[in-house]
Amino acid sequence: MDCEDVRTYLLDDHRGQLAPELAREVRAHVERCAACAHDDAAEHALSELLERRLPQHPAPLALKRRLAAQWPAPGAARAPWWPRWRRAVAPALAAALVLAVAAPWLTGRLPASGRGDGAQALVAEAVNDHLRVLLSEHPLEVESGGIHQVKPWFAGRLDFAPVVPFGGDVEFPLKGGAVGWFVDRKAAVLVYQRRLHPISLFVFRADGLPWPARGGERIGGVDAYRQTARGFTVVLWRTGDLGYALVSDLDPKELATFASKLVG
Amino acid sequence: MGGGAGTGAGAALGREALAYVDSLHNLARYLTGNASDADDLVQETYARALKAAERFTPGTNLKAWLFRILRNTFLSAYRRERNNPVSGGLDTVDPAAQGVADDHWLRDDMELDRLRKIVAGEIEAALMTLSDEARTVILLDLEGLTEVEVAQVVGCAVGTVKSRLARARLALRRQLKDYAR
Ligand SMILES: [Zn+2]
Repeated sequence: MDCEDVRTYLLDDHRGQLAPELAREVRAHVERCAACAHDDAAEHALSELLERRLPQHPAPLALKRRLAAQWPAPGAARAPWWPRWRRAVAPALAAALVLAVAAPWLTGRLPASGRGDGAQALVAEAVNDHLRVLLSEHPLEVESGGIHQVKPWFAGRLDFAPVVPFGGDVEFPLKGGAVGWFVDRKAAVLVYQRRLHPISLFVFRADGLPWPARGGERIGGVDAYRQTARGFTVVLWRTGDLGYALVSDLDPKELATFASKLVG
Repeated sequence: MGGGAGTGAGAALGREALAYVDSLHNLARYLTGNASDADDLVQETYARALKAAERFTPGTNLKAWLFRILRNTFLSAYRRERNNPVSGGLDTVDPAAQGVADDHWLRDDMELDRLRKIVAGEIEAALMTLSDEARTVILLDLEGLTEVEVAQVVGCAVGTVKSRLARARLALRRQLKDYAR
């Protein structure tokens, strides 16, 4: 393996995407080649520079409104925003609406607890709820000045106390929170961000939902269920009485990193 | 967006197409170099997406598909008309012109020091001097697109994405050498 090969693989190595054998070869070369060691460090520095300091240019609100107004509605039913629901609609009706809105995407009705494709329904629900957050003009009811501002805001607005062990950091800043719904129950919605990727965390009562029997993946101390649907990654888990759904279009690996911070 | 054309198909794409507007706008801003052209490019991208909606296979990667439309729209509609000296003239900074290995002059002891002092405006300006393709590859990688997705967007072989990205990043480091003091 010559220097040019090594340099082509450096980024993959930094991201843990090389096969173990190849990674060992790359590391061995870097250790004995001063020029490649320099590139290794410089590539790290460049990644950091791009990820942390490159200005991001999200679409202006006016453009988003224009596009949303021009985009054809899916059938007759338009997705209602949470604020409207909260004011006018009882929880039971809201649950029905969730299913109605989700209908084109759901393969079937929400199955009874414990049935095979229950996880699919939860994943579909999580993606729809995330999209609702993204497409809402005012997704956040409390803008974040930090978790210590967001957490107390939920008091009195929910019938449970959401436990959120991670309040955001430089890499995953907390943008704010809102009260939403998950299936038929109220949920604390916390929105974090990684570069331009919004990350929604829904925290809700776990009982009575069709949780997958096996998580299939250990994240931190919990059994988590991870699935990609329609370009979004969803991570579901339970801790005590509470259920968690994490959704983003972020790289699945980065989302897993974020999940491990949340699990604490 | 052209009236009733593609209304049913647009519904088939789903409103989730709109969920990528921030990412698309970011690339549009770095391709066009200014805010109003970026808005127009994104608007045109969604209009073309609606028209082409029946060619989108549900269940495949909508995000990569939209990025590809944006890039093609940029190449066909914007690049030709531009006489912007920054994006035009400095496209001559061809990352392929120099081999990866013979860049000894870049690797002085000061490079790491310089990189750590670069500020937001400098990294943005340096990125703007690269070729459209180099800029696109760097930004798509930063967006978290896989090599397969980047290849789809740029229209190149999957096997060449890794080396294109390595060359683009090296070209960026060369530019940054001139910014940091
Ligand atoms: Zn070497």
